[in-house]
Amino acid sequence: MADSTVMIRVAFVGKGGAGKSTIAGTFARLLARGGEPVLALDSDPMPGMPYSLGVAVDDCPIPDDVVVPGPEGGPRWVLRPELDAAAMIERYAATCPDGVRYLQFGNLWGHVVRLQQAQHAWSQVVSELDRDRWHVVGDLPGGTRQAMFGWAKYADTVCLVVEPTVKSLHTAKRLFGVTGARWGPSRLVLVVNKARSDSDVDRVCERLELPAAAAVAYDEAASRGDRRGAAPLDEAPDGPLARSVEGLVAHVQSLYSSI
Amino acid sequence: MLGSVNDEATTVVADLEAGIGTLTRLGAAAVDATVVVVEPTLRSIDVALRAVAVADEQRQGRVVVVANKVSDGEDRARIEEAFGDRVLAVVPDDPAVDTADRLGVSPVDHEPSAPAVAALEGLVDVLGLEAQ
Repeated sequence: MADSTVMIRVAFVGKGGAGKSTIAGTFARLLARGGEPVLALDSDPMPGMPYSLGVAVDDCPIPDDVVVPGPEGGPRWVLRPELDAAAMIERYAATCPDGVRYLQFGNLWGHVVRLQQAQHAWSQVVSELDRDRWHVVGDLPGGTRQAMFGWAKYADTVCLVVEPTVKSLHTAKRLFGVTGARWGPSRLVLVVNKARSDSDVDRVCERLELPAAAAVAYDEAASRGDRRGAAPLDEAPDGPLARSVEGLVAHVQSLYSSI
Repeated sequence: MLGSVNDEATTVVADLEAGIGTLTRLGAAAVDATVVVVEPTLRSIDVALRAVAVADEQRQGRVVVVANKVSDGEDRARIEEAFGDRVLAVVPDDPAVDTADRLGVSPVDHEPSAPAVAALEGLVDVLGLEAQ
């Protein structure tokens, strides 16, 4: 393991379509390439992160029978007594390229109620996770809802992914609110995605009054791969997207090595 | 809110959040038509297939598809293969839309003659005619 026992706990947030899943999945794989144990956590009920990790979409990865009704006044569902977070990861987290383990509660085709048991199981695993065992890389759905409601409270660093558009900047400003939330992360890191030029990056930094930890340039080959569902690291391993995310990984690691 | 708008003379255009969350909570038959916007990527097609299934199940009027950010024939074929004759408009990947987004203005105001705007005029015509 790297130069410290401090494990990275990062979540990616931003407006829908900003590129969170693409960057989060790529980040997880690059971090794992250094031999680090990496757990990717996906709370988006629509498939996104599996594509960037290079693993198949699975709509029902956590079966309903892993939970039993919870105690009076407690959660509606809890893990069966013989199951804990480690066992759940061992059994139900998919193994991805570069050794990343990927845990999601599943994807929706229709009614939200279908995933409630899996969602409770996922939440309990996340809250009881051995924080010294895994680096955690989380991907949230677009927008502010999950971020504000504490779905990323496992993270002490939040990566805010922003496109250089007015709509994306608007969402980003609202997401600043997470730093003031009760679970609030201690670090907010800005990632500018789909930048056409330095002026795009400058404009985002100026509007948000934050320096960019990474500027991810448009990557033609990765974009072509995206159309076929190929992960950026498999399609364009040396492309601008991969190189930019490498820089982001190094930046985030440096935040932890200075602790 | 949609249910409270029952003025026959008013056309309501609702923009739902990404994914299918809002669609699942709309209530049955809340709208006359559902327009599912899809990009030519496998992940977007995957989500759009889910949206179409929910809209059909919830009887949300005619469920049609708009193919967005289409660069070439291969992109178009990928979407048409997934959705067949539900595809009512094909919007090209248009730099004018990117520029409008960066400026924070409507593409219609920024460049009324842009190819993407023209493609959507076609959609308005089709849906408008069907409503008459």
